[in-house]
Amino acid sequence: MSILAYNGGAVVAMRGQDCVAIATDKRFGIQAQTVSTNFPKVYRMGPTLFVGLPGLATDTQTVHQRLKFRMNLYELKENRVMRPKTFSAMLSNMLYEKRFGPYFIEPVIAGLDPYDNQPYVCNMDLIGCPNEPEDFVVSGTCSEQLYGMCEALWEPNLKPDELFETISQALVNAADRDAISGWGAVVYIIEKDKITEKHVKTRMD
Amino acid sequence: MARRYDTRTTIFSPEGRLYQVEYAMEAISHAGTSLGILATDGILLAAERRNTNKLLDEVFFSEKIYKLNDDMVCSVAGITSDANVLTNELRLIAQRYLLQYGESIPCEQLVSWLCDVKQAYTQYGGKRPFGVSILYMGWDKHYGYQLYQSDPSGNYGGWKATCIGNNSAAAVSSLKQEYKENETTLAEAQALAIKVLSKTLDMTKLTPEKVEMATLTRKDNKTIIRVLTSTEVEKLIADFEKSEAAAEAAKKQPPKS
Repeated sequence: MSILAYNGGAVVAMRGQDCVAIATDKRFGIQAQTVSTNFPKVYRMGPTLFVGLPGLATDTQTVHQRLKFRMNLYELKENRVMRPKTFSAMLSNMLYEKRFGPYFIEPVIAGLDPYDNQPYVCNMDLIGCPNEPEDFVVSGTCSEQLYGMCEALWEPNLKPDELFETISQALVNAADRDAISGWGAVVYIIEKDKITEKHVKTRMD
Repeated sequence: MARRYDTRTTIFSPEGRLYQVEYAMEAISHAGTSLGILATDGILLAAERRNTNKLLDEVFFSEKIYKLNDDMVCSVAGITSDANVLTNELRLIAQRYLLQYGESIPCEQLVSWLCDVKQAYTQYGGKRPFGVSILYMGWDKHYGYQLYQSDPSGNYGGWKATCIGNNSAAAVSSLKQEYKENETTLAEAQALAIKVLSKTLDMTKLTPEKVEMATLTRKDNKTIIRVLTSTEVEKLIADFEKSEAAAEAAKKQPPKS
């Protein structure tokens, strides 16, 4: 039994045309037992910046709090909003600080740069190795399934509505092939001047 | 006489004074004025900007007013570099509390914590005290709007209206006369602040470049912190000068009749 599979969960993020989307399942379980169906693992860190923290639930909460700490200080000192790339660097650094006793989360970052509105997605391993592809990023206990779904469904320059459909199908179908992911899903579509949050109906098993 | 007892912070003089702390306060009394006023619907801080040299590159957001967290703002008077160190520490203290307890730090706690740090520099370490007095304005769910003042000795107090820096004594007595507790609204407080500032600013006339003002209010369960734009400050100064002129004219009336 892997520690990263103790609580279960899945997160996926995709790039679209002048938009990004990030989606998470809502299950919180302790091994086989499902404890809550309202535990989304995606948090909003800035006006157009979201981070998904799947993995060990206690670390999900702690890393989120510590990220908030660092971001608040950054924004007070620099008097500006943090860019997704910078946030990535900060998270990577934070995870590597715990290189020999890591946080058991494999984060996913999605956002629009506040200055040039470029879409950005990134994921990293539990010790902070970043990966910034042009298309999509996945993480969680059904990451293999997510890779398959995204590879099949994603295409470049999807509009926000199309992106919503694509990311929802990718997450829902991948989570359905995983016993410890699912039980509801939340999808965020991030555009320059609008954030849409949609709760997707899924199989509740 | 003082010579023998004033070179180290950590010793008392025979009269029971801490000279280094007093000298620090002396340094502050030469610095640009900062004042704060508690109103019924909000709080404001106003400060005199000293660095108005034309050659200065306008990069910064505010010279003397610093945001500490979502619910608190402070204004400083004294040595700016010392102030930067302290405001940085204040921000760290606030974030550590948020990380530990999951909620915003209550205003008095933040002030109290920093004052403990300031006090340490008057008792051990052999280092000089910080040459900064700070005015804090903030909101918390326990006591609502609050205004605090702290000085180099590490003492702090809660105030309804107060002033630090150059000519602060004159400003405080002026505030004492004009401030009406539980009756002053934020708009009236802004006008009062401009009035008091114009008195403390040596000989020079008030201009928008010389004044910084920030307000803190609550709306829909969120704290709103605003630094006034120079247009808004200009309007306040214009209103003040108009009322001054009106008062002058009124004074001249009686002899005619």
